[in-house]
Amino acid sequence: MQSSTSLTAEQITRDLLPQKFGRRGKIWVAILVTLCLIGAFAYYRQLRYGLVVTHMRDYVSWGIYISNFVFFVAISLVGSLITAIFRLANVKWSTPLTRIAEIIALSAIVFASLIIIVDMGRPERFMNLFLHGRIQSPILWDVIVISTYFFISALLLYFPLLPDFKILLQFKEKTGKMLNRLYRFQGSFWKGTKDQFRISDRSINILCIVIIPVAFCIHTVTSWLFATTYRPGWDSTNFGAYFISGAFLVGAGGVVVAMYVFRRAYHLEKYITEMHFEKMGRMVVLLALLYLYFNVNEYLVPAFKMKKPEEEHLTQLFAGEYAPLFWFAILVGMLLPILILLFKKGRKPLPVFIAGVMVVIGAWFKRYLIVTPTLLHPLLPMQNVPDSFKHYFPSWEEWAIAMGSLAGALLIITLFARIYPIIPIHETITEKNEQNENK
Amino acid sequence: MKTSKFLVLIVSFLIAFHSAVNAQDEPAKPKQVVTLRYFNENNSFQYLLLQSWSKTGKKLEPVANKAFQVYLDSNSSANLVGKVQTDNEGKVKALIPAGLKSVWDSASTHTFLVMAEGSGKEDETATEFTITKSKITIDTTNQDGVRSIAASVMKFDQGNWVPVANVEMKLGVLRMDKSILSGGDEATYTTDSTGIATAEFKKDSLPGDSKGNIILAASVEDNDELGNLLIEKPVNWGVPLKEDKSFFDQRALWTTRFKTPYWLLIIAYSISIGVWSTILYLVFQLFRIKKLGT
Repeated sequence: MQSSTSLTAEQITRDLLPQKFGRRGKIWVAILVTLCLIGAFAYYRQLRYGLVVTHMRDYVSWGIYISNFVFFVAISLVGSLITAIFRLANVKWSTPLTRIAEIIALSAIVFASLIIIVDMGRPERFMNLFLHGRIQSPILWDVIVISTYFFISALLLYFPLLPDFKILLQFKEKTGKMLNRLYRFQGSFWKGTKDQFRISDRSINILCIVIIPVAFCIHTVTSWLFATTYRPGWDSTNFGAYFISGAFLVGAGGVVVAMYVFRRAYHLEKYITEMHFEKMGRMVVLLALLYLYFNVNEYLVPAFKMKKPEEEHLTQLFAGEYAPLFWFAILVGMLLPILILLFKKGRKPLPVFIAGVMVVIGAWFKRYLIVTPTLLHPLLPMQNVPDSFKHYFPSWEEWAIAMGSLAGALLIITLFARIYPIIPIHETITEKNEQNENK
Repeated sequence: MKTSKFLVLIVSFLIAFHSAVNAQDEPAKPKQVVTLRYFNENNSFQYLLLQSWSKTGKKLEPVANKAFQVYLDSNSSANLVGKVQTDNEGKVKALIPAGLKSVWDSASTHTFLVMAEGSGKEDETATEFTITKSKITIDTTNQDGVRSIAASVMKFDQGNWVPVANVEMKLGVLRMDKSILSGGDEATYTTDSTGIATAEFKKDSLPGDSKGNIILAASVEDNDELGNLLIEKPVNWGVPLKEDKSFFDQRALWTTRFKTPYWLLIIAYSISIGVWSTILYLVFQLFRIKKLGT
């Protein structure tokens, strides 16, 4: 294999230009579109017949939709982790991963917003949140902070794309007329002058600084939606840090999965190397240990005291109805990835990918466990209520909408990679040049 | 011989013991109990309250979803008060329909008959209750600052309303749960020969509505002849209740959006303005970059 430092600018450009979908790419897109359409049909049914098509009732009023929302919010943190923190820390090896991280963050935050609207019984009243919202309510804080994070993520995606537009515009024949027109609209003004670079670099630095507290806010506020409510399982001062550590883990897990897929699909082995998997593997194991630590705090301390309201909730998680799911989330979402990634052989691309998939799946079920069992254990006993109020398993409409939203997020990432370079071309060339000069 | 006598004794004892054990094993057959009560509220609203029970030993269990037919004076279809079904607590109310006015007016004493449906004993009366038509009135007096409540009970007898003596009743203030707080020192009062019971009102600092109104009431409960009677009268004898709006009039987390605490407003708006002004600045930088390239 050719050494990455010996690559020429021409070769880098050729390798990293957006590529048309192959057969597998088209099948992948078709599957995602189908899932989205099924989700859209299920949502049409929900709009027509009301939330009664879901299995959410008086007690479980936050079901799979809100679990999905928390999952999307969590995975969106990855943008600030890879792009902002690594950039500010001058971590050069992360360059090929920044755009992957940012598009995951942006697509996740878009669907986090949409899934909240899906959860509303009367979505046409969404604007009332802004027109009549009470700033005392953590729900309004969440609405504000999600919109803010969306704009910052979009800017953080757009600014580093500007130098790439100049390169993309030079390959009209390869990219096609339609895309060329899009590139011209979005970045034909970029000439690569010294002043433009100066303003752009400064803006990216500002964004990197701003996005970190905003990202912390979005996860803390989302955790406060639960923690400001006096309920078993949510009544915790630990929740902000617990959510942020979990978000870092699932975000990093999402990135390693995407790294592996893009590397294989677009033959990017020269750019996303084994070194990247080695370093990201270490990152994931550190974050998994951190999240495990918070989990121990979150469950073991209340379990030690076993206060009466907490007892039923915790018993259900540890040894009751939710025990299989709970131990699956702990084992697959944390313990097994730690075991795989602790060893050097486990930090090769395929094991890291498998560990990443485990982390993401475990994280999704973990969010479900945070939301639903608590709602089924209110402080006052459930009396004289229909049996359907006492249990919750999502209806097919809920599953279809949730899967449709996940497919939608993946579709955005897929289409983005079709239109734009998934690894920054200009930045990669600059870094290779710097490496060559330093030799 | 002695041995055979002894064997007979043992066998007899065993048979008796076996019978006794079997008798204990057989569950006691539950007995159906139906009660009927008559209510007359404010001399204008009359209804019956039927309760169905299943009695096993000393234990009473309400019987839900049991159907009954209630008649006035005779079990002919023309005298049907209504077909009713008990609720989960074994209770059901039956209103006396206007169509039975002529039957009601024809006599001073009436008997309500209750027949159980689907029991196979439709012709048998499950229970019956006889009442004499009566009315209750309430009045107040204020002599030298001493307030009193007077209630009179009359019954309809041979075309005339005549006072009823020796009727025990409660006199006082109607609570929200429909019970009566005695207005004087006694728990109950009894009518004299003129059919009147009087209580000196001593609860003079009770909270009323915003104008100080409270509701006085007199009630006769489960009288064998008259049933249950209740009469109410609003009077201005309470202490006016001033609504305390100060709780919602302060700046706090639980109030409306117009009463947000200042500290929260300052923090929330500072953060929002700080972040959004940065975003606007960066958008402005984009325009600068664009200007430099065109």
